Amino acid sequence: MTLWRVFRPVMGLFLAEKRSMLLAGAVLAVVTVFAGIALLGLSGWFITATAIAGASAVRALVFDVFAPAAAIRFLSLARTAARYGERLTTHEATLGVLAGLRERLFRNAAQPNASNRLSQQPSRTLFRLTADIDALDSLYLRILVPAAVALCTALAVGVVFGVMHPLLGLGVAVWLLATGFGIPLLAARWSGLPARRRAYNLEALRSRTIDVVAGQTELAMAGQLQVFRTSVLGADARLAVSDDALNRIETKVGAAFGIASAVLLGSVFYAVAYLAKAGTISGPVAVMGMLVALAALEPFAALRRGAVELGRTILAARRLGPDLVATASPLPLRVPAENLAVEIRDVSVTYGAAPLPSLLNISLTLQRGERVAIIGASGSGKTTLLGLLAGEIKTSQGEVKCMPSTLLTQKTELFQDSLRNNLLLADPEATDNRLLDVLALAGLSDLVAGLPQGLDTKLGESGIGLSGGQARRFALARLLLRNAPIWLLDEPSEGIDGETARDVLQRLAGQMTQRTVIIATHIRREAALADRLLVLEDGRVKAVCCKGQPEYQTVLNGLRPD
Amino acid sequence: MSAAHSSSILLRREDLVDVDVSQSNKSANHVGKAAVKKAGVESRAAAMVQALASLLWLPQAALLAKGAGIIITGSMAGIDWIAAAVIAIGVLRALIDAFGARLAFRKARETLSEKRSEAILALSRRSPLDIEKPASGLAASVIAEQAEALLPYLARFRPARMKATVTPLAILICVFPISWVAGLVLLISAPLIPIFMALIGWRAKAASERHLAEMGDLNAFLLDRLRGLATIRSLGAVDFTARRLRANADELGKRTMAVLRIAFLSSAVLELFAALGVAMVAVYVGFHFLGQLEFGAWGHRLTLGEGLFILLLAPAFFEPLRELSAVWHDRAAGEAAIEALDRLSTTGVAIPDKSAETRGARWSGAPLSLKVEKLTFSHAGSDIPLFAGFNFEVRAGEHIALLGPSGTGKSTLLALVAGLAPYRTGIIRVGDRVLDEKSSHALRGRMSWMGQKPHIFAGTIADNICLHRTELAKDAVNAALMASSLQNVANAKSHNYLGEGGAGLSGGEIRRLALARMAISRDAGIILADEPTAHLDRATADEIADRLLDVAAGKTLIVATHDPVLAQRMDRIIIIGRKNCLGEPA
Repeated sequence: MTLWRVFRPVMGLFLAEKRSMLLAGAVLAVVTVFAGIALLGLSGWFITATAIAGASAVRALVFDVFAPAAAIRFLSLARTAARYGERLTTHEATLGVLAGLRERLFRNAAQPNASNRLSQQPSRTLFRLTADIDALDSLYLRILVPAAVALCTALAVGVVFGVMHPLLGLGVAVWLLATGFGIPLLAARWSGLPARRRAYNLEALRSRTIDVVAGQTELAMAGQLQVFRTSVLGADARLAVSDDALNRIETKVGAAFGIASAVLLGSVFYAVAYLAKAGTISGPVAVMGMLVALAALEPFAALRRGAVELGRTILAARRLGPDLVATASPLPLRVPAENLAVEIRDVSVTYGAAPLPSLLNISLTLQRGERVAIIGASGSGKTTLLGLLAGEIKTSQGEVKCMPSTLLTQKTELFQDSLRNNLLLADPEATDNRLLDVLALAGLSDLVAGLPQGLDTKLGESGIGLSGGQARRFALARLLLRNAPIWLLDEPSEGIDGETARDVLQRLAGQMTQRTVIIATHIRREAALADRLLVLEDGRVKAVCCKGQPEYQTVLNGLRPD
Repeated sequence: MSAAHSSSILLRREDLVDVDVSQSNKSANHVGKAAVKKAGVESRAAAMVQALASLLWLPQAALLAKGAGIIITGSMAGIDWIAAAVIAIGVLRALIDAFGARLAFRKARETLSEKRSEAILALSRRSPLDIEKPASGLAASVIAEQAEALLPYLARFRPARMKATVTPLAILICVFPISWVAGLVLLISAPLIPIFMALIGWRAKAASERHLAEMGDLNAFLLDRLRGLATIRSLGAVDFTARRLRANADELGKRTMAVLRIAFLSSAVLELFAALGVAMVAVYVGFHFLGQLEFGAWGHRLTLGEGLFILLLAPAFFEPLRELSAVWHDRAAGEAAIEALDRLSTTGVAIPDKSAETRGARWSGAPLSLKVEKLTFSHAGSDIPLFAGFNFEVRAGEHIALLGPSGTGKSTLLALVAGLAPYRTGIIRVGDRVLDEKSSHALRGRMSWMGQKPHIFAGTIADNICLHRTELAKDAVNAALMASSLQNVANAKSHNYLGEGGAGLSGGEIRRLALARMAISRDAGIILADEPTAHLDRATADEIADRLLDVAAGKTLIVATHDPVLAQRMDRIIIIGRKNCLGEPA
């Protein structure tokens, strides 16, 4: 069954996380509904029985009122308690499951090459991811639990009526199952397409809004603001169409349930009247049957929203499913022979279906402690080469051997967390003293000393609160903390002003002793730190020169000054 | 605007957030309430229809009760008619309810579209120099995601509230004439609906708001870490981060449950009263029939039909309250969404543009002169003028470099010349026309623009150059690609959508794209270029400069730059500094 295949990875995760609690929640939900049905049915029986007994003074005296009255009170308390328990259990289970879901998604997304989409379209991918996680939220609470309750109710109510008359029981059970599951399944099927369209149009609305706001100047200059504004509204109009389609389905489901319950109520009413007249059942039992029929469709109404959301949930499960299956981590890079830090032989890299390779037949050997600068214009393959050494990028051909390394990425990435936790990423075991030491080495002790909350100071989104230069220094502190034998530095002083850049580079150089360092750069001051220059052009090595050779100075002179 | 300068604006905007939010909150509240009121009047009809549908249960219950009276006599007389009527009323009820739901939804959806449209209009009119203009990410998340909360609020919460007011009242009116005791039981079981509402409201506040907010925090944590995956991997911190994510989620779960345990208690109270209400009615009616509780029916003894009728109405009395509590959290989310949308719809500093002119006319592309006289400008909310009495003149066809440290206003000057922000005093003359709110739209048609951080639109390279200008032929696009040496990239990626922010394009390629976007406006007489070579390596910077000068041949060119090499290639360099900005000789 395709539905099962779609939901299997998600369900597997759910059950692995909180199997017993998920079950307990469903059981309590069933108990709640049963207590409700029993309460109404018993009340109907009690009233009718007392009415009959009350007609004669003798029978009224011998009628046992206390047992049913106590049962009625018990059921009303039981229903309340079960409902409370159900809500607690189902929510606790959902929270636990979602915690596991997020952890698993993160682990799998953290694999190198896990998702090209994430680097190409981060905000769109992330938006989709949250929407999908939210959609899975409703799988248990809105779909699985109501479905389980509906199934149990149909069977139980069938048995109750079956005791009155087998055919009546069968008829009620079949009707409940057919309408109770048929209507939602039909709705889920109808809602699949509009739900997908809705998700798509919502993404379009989002990206077009970004285009109008972020691209406003370009659009105003091109005289196209009006056109793009219209296109945002167009996306909303299409969203409205799919919203409307989904609402129409939801309304139809509601109406269908209303009609199904009216038919059930009317038919059961007629049937029990017939059975009472035939003497198969007593009057009070007949009235009880009528009231049970009235209460029996209550749990099915809970399926109404779940049915419409099922389409969206299937989409989410289909998209997230593959990301939930645990994948094996790639093997770490092999370590080169003694005295060598890096050994690359005849390596080529071609991205996906790109017509030209990003790197072609590169060979490079580095002694331990050597410093090399990789120089080239943007697009020459510098960053690819660093990614290769960091184990981020796979070779298309050839082999890379490299000692453990740390990459200082071009863009400093800081997280919305305390300074301490941002640092601990590099070394979870580090003590506060060690953290303060590396911050001092990176030139940040004044900053930290000036913060009232010190290391506990929180950084905002994308590290707001630190200037570009401070952020770079912070990245330097993390690099020092990591203490890897190889440093891979991707344009370490790009994007910060001259004085700060020189200071950061000086501090870096001071810590470089005994480390192997590879710098990708097009700036002179960075390249000048290296013993050897490797000039890349279109993914090929164009020239290599060492400090002391005349070419070295020539290459340096050709780089951007400042 | 240099990177350092714009980041300082970001910081300032961050600092302003608190003040800003509290101020705009007041006005947003005001506007929001008016909008809600209007939508409320419109959707009241829909809510009434749904309340009417729920009232149809009264005749159904009466018929069933009457039928039960017949059943216990062992007769079938009239049962078929009653059964048919119960079904017919039930079907009618379902259809009317559906009709009301659709009506409520359509009104709600209309309101949502209106609010989105208002926000987009306001945002697109706000000047790029307005430092309080919301960032694109925030605008997108409010307009696309948060605004969705409006639908359940208007389409579900309001009808539910109407039902909760009308239905219990109608039921009480039906029950009291039959038995005042039963009526009293119902009335006491629902111990003053306002208290209920307060309880539920408290629950909503505690549970849903906090729960949602913290869930949001957890998502934000996940997204924040996913954004920085490269760093996390390079620091070997994947496992550490995954465990922290898990610990945070579990901790959040615990704290949320602590809140929910209390919050659900108040909904359990509602549940308890509902169940007890039914039980008490049943027990009272039973004892009444047995003659042990004779009072309560205005001196008569109830018939089975009457007793059953009361019993059937008891659950219906509580149902709307339960429904309302189920959708209560929609209210907080919906009202927050209205506020957020209204905040986006505030006008702020607008682009001065009130022209009815269209850009039908094509221009020759002949160079235009520019004359700025006694210009005074300061950012909104700032008393310090960026320009005061500033004078500046460019002859037609002249190539000018604006050179100066960051923060002096080079980028601002370009934006003012392009008519993208209102200035306080002074005159800007482009060619023979004065730049004002009437002429700015048409004059912009005679300028072309190369921004410092070109926005990459969702679409292909060609889409990014055309920007949906349908009048541009394919030849023009090819010529523009040629002029910016972008053909190879365009060929390799012709059908591919570009990544966000130009992911997949190098810094040089993004700049070429901006160049192509500029080169395609052949009508332009003035080219305004903001830092066209910043953050590029020398070779790429030189190449971009060559292409820029090719495109600008025979046109007026104004370049704001830090790059001395680029500045040297212009006809004239104007140093922008504090002094001349304030009208003093440099």
